Amino acid sequence: MSDATVQQVQDEAVVHHSLLRRMGGGLRTFVRRSPMSAFWGVIAALIIVMAIIAPVLAPYPPLKSDFRAMTKAPTERHWFGTDQIGRDTLSRVIYGSRASLTVAVSAVVLGTTLGAFWGLASGYFGGRFDLVSQRIMEFLQSFPDLILAMAIAMALGAGFGTVIVAIAITRIPFGGRVIRSVVLSLKERAFVEAARGLGASHTRMMLRHILPQCIAPYLVLATTHLGVAIIIEASLGFLGVGIPPPQPTWGNMLADSLNAGLIPPWWLVLFPGGAITLTVLAFNLLGDGIRDALDPRLRGTA
Amino acid sequence: MYAYIARRIVFGLLTVIGVSIVIFVVMRVLPGDPLLAVLGPEGLQKLSDADRAKYMADLGLSDPLIVQYLRWMRDVASGTFGTSFFRSESVADMIVRRGPLTAEIALFSVVLSWIVGIPVALISVLRPNSFGDTIARFLSILFLAVPGFWVGMLIILAMLFWFGYRPPLTNIPFWEDPWSNLQIVLPPAIVLGLGQAAYIARMARSSLLEVIREDYVRTARAKGLSGRLVVGLHALPNAMLPVITLSGILMGFVLAGSVPVERAFATPGLGYAMFIAVNERDIFVVQNLVFLYASVFVVLNILIDLTTAWLDPRIRLQ
Repeated sequence: MSDATVQQVQDEAVVHHSLLRRMGGGLRTFVRRSPMSAFWGVIAALIIVMAIIAPVLAPYPPLKSDFRAMTKAPTERHWFGTDQIGRDTLSRVIYGSRASLTVAVSAVVLGTTLGAFWGLASGYFGGRFDLVSQRIMEFLQSFPDLILAMAIAMALGAGFGTVIVAIAITRIPFGGRVIRSVVLSLKERAFVEAARGLGASHTRMMLRHILPQCIAPYLVLATTHLGVAIIIEASLGFLGVGIPPPQPTWGNMLADSLNAGLIPPWWLVLFPGGAITLTVLAFNLLGDGIRDALDPRLRGTA
Repeated sequence: MYAYIARRIVFGLLTVIGVSIVIFVVMRVLPGDPLLAVLGPEGLQKLSDADRAKYMADLGLSDPLIVQYLRWMRDVASGTFGTSFFRSESVADMIVRRGPLTAEIALFSVVLSWIVGIPVALISVLRPNSFGDTIARFLSILFLAVPGFWVGMLIILAMLFWFGYRPPLTNIPFWEDPWSNLQIVLPPAIVLGLGQAAYIARMARSSLLEVIREDYVRTARAKGLSGRLVVGLHALPNAMLPVITLSGILMGFVLAGSVPVERAFATPGLGYAMFIAVNERDIFVVQNLVFLYASVFVVLNILIDLTTAWLDPRIRLQ
């Protein structure tokens, strides 16, 4: 008996349970088919957990200065060393994951979703609206992404929300273009024509019939852009237009290390950058796995 | 072909105008006081209304937006690009003085990305799943995840630690002292080049794998050519088109990446100037540099489009 027929005979009360089981089954298949992606998925999950329970994990408060241990190399008391005003680098790296992940996830969700709905509308309606939308997306894509994000972050003034908005705007055209092309091919399909024949309104057609088909490409797009967003956030922090200190982010910790003397101490450079690399690596490889699982046609493309 | 060139150039001009409007909107229309950008929050609080009006008028910020926009376009067209808030140097002088360094870095990094990326892809395709292929794939995945500026900082630390070496920091043109110039330019170019090489290798690999399934490759194989010759002579040239296109798109990666990477190496190029301008909140300089970067990106991609159209007649006949 296939999953679909099982689900058909379930009554309302058990649907939730079967959905959970289906997800569990999907997860098992995912692990069996691509153990590498599953492994990196676990790393990604651990990083997310680290961000959530940062206060429990961090051995010291991230902003507490210890004037007896300034610019100290890693020791037993401070595994990752301390910075020039005696703050514990390990604690700051752990807390830095919060800023990095919050910004990257919010920016990607905000930007990709906005872009996706824009692409949905412009692909569905076509005509002049589509033409103008296409040009605007092209203009936005003509900027190297970090450059545009820098300019927006500077114009809005540094802060948590502005960094999210700045990165989100650079993600809009990607969502828009991908979803638009999906919608263009869906529009010609028989089930859409059938819905139109039955007299469905534009809103109903878009939201009930076309939107569900866009979810897989949307998820693939969002996960593959998480890594880029993390790197942009770190670069903005490094360039002094990200989340301002004292709140620790991996980017502004690296910028801060340059102020710690003529030669930056190696532990202030190695650990925050290593954290960025590990996180981006985990999300990229997880994204590749999700892409292969959800849309086998895209397998192997960049 | 001429019709195609004309069409691309017209579209390119339209894009540059559109880009300038986007920048103008970001700099002037988004919430955020331009004087806050210049004076900072404390300065803004101390400012009386009269002083404020005077500042705005001096900077030409109290004119209608359309007048400001047209004035900026006139400055761009005349080639002066306006002047900085904090330095007497005009933005045009800054570009002439610092631009060549960044251009050199971009050029070297693109050359390096091809020198590294294509052979890596060839190894992957000729010996799939071999030790070399595994290493190449691992490295390309790793380099997609590493922030270039961090690699730059690590390189500086490693050079200092093991060789006690620090590259010179002054802006020396190539024709005056090629060796000092290369010492400044090569480290950032290597960092940016390896980052691009990862993308190039990935794209060349998948493009090659697609091309070697074609009939003419099988024919070449059937007439007795060795695998190496088939891939090198028959498959490689046809697999290059997507790689050339990607190289154009990656120019955005280089231009954007040059800002943090130049900051990491303290390279006195345009990227560093952008970093300083953004931190000083020098909006005129930022506005013009962002416009320059985006325009260069657009123009390079038009050149790439024309190159691929020239190489492949199917594209220009569409």
